[in-house]
Amino acid sequence: MWNTVFPYILSGISVGGQYALIAIGYTMVYGILRLINFAHGDVFMVAGIIMVYMAASGVPLWLCIPLVLVLTALIGFVIERVAYKPLRTAPRMSAMISAIGVSYTLQNLVLYITGGLNQIYPTIPWISDSVTIFGATTKMVTVITPFLTIILVVALVLLINHTKIGMAMRAVSRDFETSQLMGIKINSVISMTFVIGTFLAGVASILYFTNYTTVIQTSGAMPGLKAFVAAVFGGIGSIPGAVVGAFIIGIAENIIKGLDIILFKAGILSGPVGLATFSDAFTFALLIIILAVKPTGLFGEKITDKV
Amino acid sequence: MSNSISSRKKIDSATIISAVIVACIYVAVFVAEQFVPATSMLFTVLKKGATYALVAVSMNLCNGFTGIFSLGQAGFMLIGAYVYGIFTIPQAARMDVYQYYNGGLVQFTLPWFVAMILGGLAAAFFAFLIGMPVLRLKSDYLAIATLGFAEIIRALFQWDKLGPVTNGSNMLRLFPAFNDFNIKGANGQVTVYLSTLVPLLIAGVCIGIIILLINSTFGRALKAIRDDEIAAEAMGIRLASHKRLAFCISSFFAGVGGAMLAMYQTTVQAKSFTTAMTYEILLIVVIGGIGSVTGSCISSFLFVAASEWWLRFLDQKQVIGGFEVPLLRNGFRLVVFSIIIMIVVLFFRQGIMGTRELPDLIRGWQRKGKGKEAHGK
Amino acid sequence: MSENVLHIDHLTMRFGGVVAVNDLSMDINKGEIVALIGPNGAGKTTAFNMVTGVYTPTEGKVILDGQDVTGKRPDEITKLGVARTFQNIRLFSSMTVFDNVLTARHLRRTSNFLTATFRLNAAEERKMRAETEALLKEVDLYDLKDEMATSLPYGKQRLLEIARALSTQPKLLLLDEPAAGMNPQETEELGVFIRQIKDKFNLTVFLIEHHMNLVMGISDRIYVIDFGKQIAQGTPAEVQDNPAVIAAYLGVDEEEGVQ
Repeated sequence: MWNTVFPYILSGISVGGQYALIAIGYTMVYGILRLINFAHGDVFMVAGIIMVYMAASGVPLWLCIPLVLVLTALIGFVIERVAYKPLRTAPRMSAMISAIGVSYTLQNLVLYITGGLNQIYPTIPWISDSVTIFGATTKMVTVITPFLTIILVVALVLLINHTKIGMAMRAVSRDFETSQLMGIKINSVISMTFVIGTFLAGVASILYFTNYTTVIQTSGAMPGLKAFVAAVFGGIGSIPGAVVGAFIIGIAENIIKGLDIILFKAGILSGPVGLATFSDAFTFALLIIILAVKPTGLFGEKITDKV
Repeated sequence: MSNSISSRKKIDSATIISAVIVACIYVAVFVAEQFVPATSMLFTVLKKGATYALVAVSMNLCNGFTGIFSLGQAGFMLIGAYVYGIFTIPQAARMDVYQYYNGGLVQFTLPWFVAMILGGLAAAFFAFLIGMPVLRLKSDYLAIATLGFAEIIRALFQWDKLGPVTNGSNMLRLFPAFNDFNIKGANGQVTVYLSTLVPLLIAGVCIGIIILLINSTFGRALKAIRDDEIAAEAMGIRLASHKRLAFCISSFFAGVGGAMLAMYQTTVQAKSFTTAMTYEILLIVVIGGIGSVTGSCISSFLFVAASEWWLRFLDQKQVIGGFEVPLLRNGFRLVVFSIIIMIVVLFFRQGIMGTRELPDLIRGWQRKGKGKEAHGK
Repeated sequence: MSENVLHIDHLTMRFGGVVAVNDLSMDINKGEIVALIGPNGAGKTTAFNMVTGVYTPTEGKVILDGQDVTGKRPDEITKLGVARTFQNIRLFSSMTVFDNVLTARHLRRTSNFLTATFRLNAAEERKMRAETEALLKEVDLYDLKDEMATSLPYGKQRLLEIARALSTQPKLLLLDEPAAGMNPQETEELGVFIRQIKDKFNLTVFLIEHHMNLVMGISDRIYVIDFGKQIAQGTPAEVQDNPAVIAAYLGVDEEEGVQ
């Protein structure tokens, strides 16, 4: 039984870690701007595409990785300045529509550049190697993802709690107007938030696409949405919440992928019923349930409206 | 000063002129259809444009007129398209379509318009169910929840176990399509072309009903909710029931629009009803003007015309005088499109029409004309 | 004793650790104009919000015409005959003056969405429009009926909010600082106007106001609260002479000067 379930849990933890890194970008941006950055998943995809093209043009891999991360963060910065900053005083719906527009633009841009064909992700040595742990064979990346995720999250939490810019971020997410009055440079705080968020999405893209090996213009949509669900699940605005939510969703989704086989081997099912179809849908069902039962998520704070 | 009596519903000259313009368009389409070759891109654009116009207007009812930011449109279209397809495939073709499911479970065929309305009702029913938990949520949470709902529906309809009804992940086909509206003579030759006019009429009737709703006391209540929920509630408007009403009606027409899309495409497959489709419709609504039915219609036809026809050349290599125009190749059209959309979103937030409608435009022209006359004297 | 319209029974409202309204009891009788006054942040608007169903009181009851309405939704309470205006004007910004008032008549409809969409309610719609027109003439906004609500000058917007509230056909009208932002002349006119509509529409009026001239001029009785607790009540003359009120409120107000 364990032998059947374990590989799914393993890949669940791995993909959960990748979702966590993406989810942090959503949750930080939402915490500060109250904006669902629909384009975040697509930035993650673009990071994958940049890697593909950079590696193909002969840049050595050890140089590619930092370059990809820097470029991705830069893209995040530019998107915020071009597409969201002008709409800061506009109704919230406008910024959300702009985010959807950016998502559409990035996908179409990549479609144009790649011709809509699957791009093979370069094989990064060591993390692409196969390993066997507890009888399950997998790639090294699967094993290192959760550890790397935890390290990055701890670093981020330290940054937020112990640096000046981190303090500014907390202040802005608590009360936008007041912190502006207190002399906090809102624009640089917001830019920083986007830079951090997209940087982590860049890391996630390296881990994710090493595992899945191909990138296409729509590759970012699903992981992006799932990471967002994870952020909502954990309580939007809360970084630990996003991480916990992401791991739960990653594991649950992977178990559902293998549920037919698991239940069959456990003697509950007599044949396949195609439950794997619902591995994506499950995430959204979870979202609707959590929103209906506890809209603030696991770790979210309650917000009251003023009349 | 105008002496219009507002206790009566204003039917002024501008409204009449608008109605005449719309009627003229229908006549023109009918005439064109009889004389222009049926393969002309014009008809493709009109058919698909009519479908998108209906879906865009239905989305506008929710997002623009009621202020419910729903992103479930593709899901409701899917339901409408499938219900239409499932119930209209001719008996003789069922064995062929449902080849992996032994002819399928449904063994009868309904008339097209019955199936289409049924599709709308099914979509409205799902909207009712999903609305219960979801409509209480705030704008952006509601957006993501409805989007998630559409994804669930998409997975559900592809589920192998539902195959006897939905044909699983295989496509539905051989059901009546737009071309079947053409009237054929005894020899199989088309005598009267209606394959464009009928979809335009279906969309027109549906949009007409939505306009009637918007201009009724219920429409005013919905706009009140959009403008200020707290004030609306204090004026005795029950938020939950009115939001649900708008959401269900919007979904009903999205379902009908889905059925029309099925007729346009001649095939239906769940996997094509993606989030991207919802985004596209949302962007059409934004370009047209959030809160303008006229805007959504104009923008739908423009969007479809540009993407299917006028900007097609951007996707092919163009050689002008021995000089190859750079950048043009497959996908460039969509890049240009995206840029146009971003420009509209960022700099022309009102879209084409803002919240104005065709009669408002005519009234504006009339005033301007009068102003000039007075000035001339 | 005349007929009781609103009975507030030991209302308390807590937000987390903050007690916004503390054990407040009030009685308002048919045909009265009753004012609720107190310094800023005393809990006046919170009390209004509990009466109109925006907040559910932590403790206590709201009795309307002998019926317990505690915990009912705002729209239900409005249907029972309580209408209100807002301190920070909340008009329907996309609508004309006429439509603002007409929309507030929606709750008295007998049509459903189908009959309304297909115009089977034409007679009712005509009646609604005629009544709206009459109401606008009554409050002297008829000439502005086709203007956008938000394009009106401030004083007229306040007036429109009252007209919109009247359109719901209330028995009890709650006015949340109706004179805020008005000049002395407008305020004086407002006082006359409130009395007029009270008689014409057979209303009971419950208002929150800072303008002492207005409050003292039109109120039959006044309740004074501070820090969520009632500190005095009585006729204007009684309240004006009450030392607790002078200490908590009137003294401060006079120092601030008369507007």
